[in-house]
Parts: sequence; C-alpha cells; structure tokens
Amino acid sequence: MTDKHEFESIAMPYMGAMYKFAYALCGNSDNAQDLVQDTFLKAFEKFKSFDKGSNCRAWLAAIMRNKWIDQLRHNQVTGQILPLEHDIAAKPAQNETEWSDCRDFLEKFSDEQVIKALLTLGEEQRTTLFLIDVEQLSQDDVAKIMDVAVGTVKSRTSRARSALKNELIGYAKEMGYAGGEK
Amino acid sequence: MSHLTDEQLEEIIQGDNSASEHLVECQLCKERLAEKRALADRLKLAFSKVEMAGQLEQRIRSGLGLNSRMSPEPKIKILNFRAHWKSISAIAAAAIILIVAVPVSMRLMAPALAAQAQLAQIHEHNMSGNHEFHSEADPAKLAEYFKGKLGFIPSMPTPGRGLALRGCCIRHFRGKVVGSYVVETPEGIVSVIVVTDTPKSMGMKRKDQTFWEGSFAKCEMVTVSLDGFSYCAVGEVSHEYLTDLLSQLLPDSPE
Repeated sequence: MTDKHEFESIAMPYMGAMYKFAYALCGNSDNAQDLVQDTFLKAFEKFKSFDKGSNCRAWLAAIMRNKWIDQLRHNQVTGQILPLEHDIAAKPAQNETEWSDCRDFLEKFSDEQVIKALLTLGEEQRTTLFLIDVEQLSQDDVAKIMDVAVGTVKSRTSRARSALKNELIGYAKEMGYAGGEK
Repeated sequence: MSHLTDEQLEEIIQGDNSASEHLVECQLCKERLAEKRALADRLKLAFSKVEMAGQLEQRIRSGLGLNSRMSPEPKIKILNFRAHWKSISAIAAAAIILIVAVPVSMRLMAPALAAQAQLAQIHEHNMSGNHEFHSEADPAKLAEYFKGKLGFIPSMPTPGRGLALRGCCIRHFRGKVVGSYVVETPEGIVSVIVVTDTPKSMGMKRKDQTFWEGSFAKCEMVTVSLDGFSYCAVGEVSHEYLTDLLSQLLPDSPE
C-alpha cells in the first residue's frame, strides 16, 4: 500500500473530527476550514513519521494544535487578533441553585450557546476540555498533545469544566432562568 | 469523611473505578460527578451537530492528489502539484469563468480559493491603469510611497536586465490593507502583492526556499515568505519565471 493510500485509509476518516476541533479552536467556519486543510497537508508531509499503531486522531490533533499556535504567534507578530491565553483558575461557582438538576438545566441552552461558552475559555482549558469530552481522548494522549504532565491535564480539565459551568450560569441569568438565592 | 478531589472525579469520568466505593456512600461526590458528566455529555452533544462543508474534503483530497469521493464542484486548483497541473488546469479554467462572471459566488467560495481570486483581481486592477495606481519607476520613490502608506518598505527586485518597475498601489486583500507593485519583465507584466496571510497549500522546495504555487483563470501565482510577509507574484507568466523573480527578493541562499 502506498503512503497516499495509507494516509487515505488511516488519517482521512478523522477529517470530520478534526473539523470540530478546528472549530473549537477558531470559533468560526472559515478559519476552521483553513486550519483543517493546513493540518492535513502537514500530516501528509509528516506521515512517514507517524507510528502506524498509535492513535491517529491524537496525532492529527497535535499537528492541528501546533498549527493553531503558530498562527496565533504569527498574528501577534503582524498585529492581528488574539493573544495566546494562559491557563487561569476558574472563578468560584457563582450560584449552585440551578445545578440541583444539572441535566435539566443544561437542556435550556442551545448548542450554539454551549459552544460559545466553551470559546470564552482560554486556549489551554478549551483545548483540554474539548479533547477529553468531545474527542474522548485519554488523559495520556491529551498530555502528549499539550506537552504537559497528566496531572496537569486532570486539574486543567476540572478547572475548564468549572469555568464552562460559570459561563453557562451567566447566560442563564441573562435569559432569566437563574439568579435567585438559595 | 474526606471527599474525592476534582482530579479523582476526572479519572472516574475517564473510566477509573478505584474510587467507586466512596461514591456509593457519599451523596455529595456522587452529585459532583453527575454534574461533571452532564457537562461533558452536553458539550459532546453540542459539537455533534458541527459538521464540515463537503467542499472541504474535496479541497483537501484534490490538494493531496487523492481520488475524489464526491462529484467535483466548480473550483480551481489550490494546491499545485506540477505533475497534475496540465490535466487539472483545463477543467479549472472552465469553472473559473463562471466564478468570475458571477461575482457574488466569490463569497461562497472556499477561503483559499477566494484568496487566489482576489489576488488575480488585484493584478487585473493593477493592469487596468486606474487612477489609484501610483505610476513610478524609481525604486526609491516607490519605497517612499510604501513607507508612507504601509509603514514599511517591501522588498523589490533591482531594475535592469529586462526588469523595470512600473508603479505601485495600496489594495485590500481579505479585509486588510496590502501593498502591491508591478514589474515589467521580458515574460510579461507581474504584480507582486505583499500580504500578511500565510499560503494555504503544500509548498515546493526550490533553491533552499519554499515556494507555493497556484493558478486562477489566466493568472499563475507563486508565493514566498519573507520577513513575516507573504510575497505573491501574479501574472500571465510561468510558475518558473515567477519563482525566479521572487528569488531575487530573497537573501542569498547558502551555496
């Protein structure tokens, strides 16, 4: 089997998943499409170095994240958009009342609101939470992608989840669903 | 009773059952875990409806030289693999005419395709002798113009040996102000457009430098990165010639 055919059968099936990741990074379709294209071109160039027994989804995600970081740095240099965000501790929960039945509460939000809330998180928290929850990668894989210790992934995931929750509580208040004292 | 840490709860979500006994006894940790799981599920559900446009797969497949799985859409080649060019260009040319004839469709094009179309339009505009064009052959005066308009001086080829600068102008590319100058060459007129965007195709290594090639309608394009900018040479001349022209802008490559 040629490299091209192997790439087609091993890597190409993840294009949809990588688009979702790109969307989580960029927050809009145009940039996400460009990022996916860049990622697959880069992956094709580097495919010889891919360990065929390893997790291709994680390998592609690592390439995509590196591409995205490169773009952010380039844009900083050329005076465009977005600072690189650093991992920050989540604010304490603002109001626990609404979470007594969290699944019901979460159904009040549209998909767009949930994604928008995720996009408000810093890049490290956002990427970690996305890769763990949506891509369902292991903490080990995410640690490799993010180039951090597994313990950092665990604490970062937890902080990201709290931050996401706080953001959604904020939306709920705006929508008039929340705000009462316990 | 000591409760589970957030990190331990994250491990449980990942499938680690070592703390399951505590969860049987502790209502608080059970609720904390349920909340985390609910958030994870909601996030996953939200992204389940995010789907890429079908054209993206087509773009990537065509760029990688893989067989198309879908019916081809009207599009131009965005990634130039020299070996495939001859066959692809004839198909692309027919599609391009439609795209150019219906400007509104530009907004529906994939970003990389639209970018190439815009570059070709800038070249066309430069050729039209419009009033925005600053006609000037003196490199020093062109440099002064760019300094005043853009705040920096783009690299330009040295006139002579058949090359002559014709002038320059300020244009808009993907919503940003960019500089463009025109060079008269023995092969034809070439516009060089200096943008901050990065090329969106697989580069080809030549003379120790990566060049990106593309085409739109009759225009050929070659791009090279230099000092944090992308220099796009556009004209109805060969990729080889455009590459040679851009090579003159680069610092001398090591032997």
